[in-house]
Amino acid sequence: MSKLQRSILYWLLLSPLVVLVIFPFAVMFITAVKPATEVLQPSWWPSAPHWGNFVEMWQAAGFGPALVNSLYTAVVSTLLALAVSIPAAYGLSRYRFAGRGAVKQFLLISQMLSPIVLVLGLFRLAAALGLVDNLNAVVFIYAAFNIAFSVWMLQSYFATIPLDLEEAAWMEGASRAKTLRIVFLPLAIPAIVVTAIFTFINAWNEFVIALTMLRRQESYTLPIQIFSLVAGRYTVEWHYVMAAAFVATVPVAIVFAWLQRYLVRGLALGAVK
Amino acid sequence: MQLGRLSQPYLLILPSFLMAAFIVLWPLGELVQIATHEVNRFGQLRDFTGLANFAVLASDADFLATILRTLIWTVGVVGGTLIVSLPVALILNDDFYGRSVARVIVMLPWAVSLTMTAIVWRWALSGENGMMNSGLADLGLIHTNIQWLAQAETAFPVQIAIGILVSIPFTVTIFLGGLSSISDELYDAAAIEGAGRLAQFRFITLPLLKPFVNIALVLNTIYVFNSFPIIWAMTQGGPANSTDIMVTYLYKLAFRWGKLGEASAVSLLMFAVLITFTLVYLRISQRDEAEA
Repeated sequence: MSKLQRSILYWLLLSPLVVLVIFPFAVMFITAVKPATEVLQPSWWPSAPHWGNFVEMWQAAGFGPALVNSLYTAVVSTLLALAVSIPAAYGLSRYRFAGRGAVKQFLLISQMLSPIVLVLGLFRLAAALGLVDNLNAVVFIYAAFNIAFSVWMLQSYFATIPLDLEEAAWMEGASRAKTLRIVFLPLAIPAIVVTAIFTFINAWNEFVIALTMLRRQESYTLPIQIFSLVAGRYTVEWHYVMAAAFVATVPVAIVFAWLQRYLVRGLALGAVK
Repeated sequence: MQLGRLSQPYLLILPSFLMAAFIVLWPLGELVQIATHEVNRFGQLRDFTGLANFAVLASDADFLATILRTLIWTVGVVGGTLIVSLPVALILNDDFYGRSVARVIVMLPWAVSLTMTAIVWRWALSGENGMMNSGLADLGLIHTNIQWLAQAETAFPVQIAIGILVSIPFTVTIFLGGLSSISDELYDAAAIEGAGRLAQFRFITLPLLKPFVNIALVLNTIYVFNSFPIIWAMTQGGPANSTDIMVTYLYKLAFRWGKLGEASAVSLLMFAVLITFTLVYLRISQRDEAEA
């Protein structure tokens, strides 16, 4: 079979999956550019694209404040998760010590626990501390639930950074802290950036914690804001909802598509080491 | 100084460990307390009641139906995902025109939040004006609108299908990692010995891929068992609890009906199941490590 024949066969085999993957994006986009009067008509294409939906939804769907809340929770929780994960990953990849295996197993187990199982307990905790509806409580929970993933990803990359350079610096008389700053961290930056982006995306997309903890519309993040426009309503302005979903989704999807091979590598390394 | 050196790794790990432990253990303690006490809908604890909340669940017909549905959901999504992902990974591992585009397309659902995916599908599958019905009608495949999400007979299978669709990227990723770890020399040697492509697949690819299939099986089981947004954003477990799985039922018990004791009991049951899955995962990954 020539490469051309094989390519045609493969694309034919993949086509049902490709259609199913593209379909929701098409629905999102086409609905988002339909004029309000045509949204509920059973036609696929708008008579003329109405780009104004993207501007109007900013007000109509309450997009602005939710965007700010989402950015705040995702950025701050990512920074917090990294601040505690980087030292931990460095410790796991550079030291041999009693309990190292136990720590790694603990990380693995805590990664398996989805927040949904603990959500009632988390809500009680937040209520007892007076932190319901507080974005910073959500930030802390996101950061804590992302620690396992961040440490796992980081330490699998850190382990691939050769020790030789650090040892050479020690020979030259540099302290451990100085070596860390001047030799190790610059080499680790790509790994840190990739881990940060995935932690950010996790927080950006999170649903059940935000749904439970955030009660007033002023504190809603994007998934909750968009969900609230749909849930339990008789009239849904679908063109605005889809425009908002499109803007909330596509930038993140592009970054993810671009970076997914690093995730593959990190997960694979983590599974082997 | 010696002591300082020894304690360094522990100091480095301590903050992350404390944070991760706090966020799991404290809520868990709360859940145990609520589950073993009588509790009113405002969350005030009354008398210790032992396993009474679990007993109420055991006699709740809706909950028992939910367990069965959770089983169908998990087996359906995980099984379907593995069956679709294996050939997709084999194709993406081979060389053909447009492979990198195909890879990005297959990975795309992973990048979108499940909430958004579910909301978009809910709109696409709307009975009166959804684009699924109008698309199928335009193609001449249907003549009357199908009420996809208004009845459990279509809503639940559709949700399972969407569950499969969003689980494929992760699974294909694991399989691709496994396939790239099989060296070409093995295939070359087999070809010299006269093994055809089918024999190569059966005697080289499948056995060497098995550890990766195991890991994909266990991890997917955990994720799917826990998955909340697809069902919640599409039907909220309706109509009439007919698409509820344990997580959505748990959420209703806790935050809609105020039955905190029963909700905590469900949480603890799920926690026990998850710990079991995780131990299985650890066993499998360690065994594979020992074999490798």
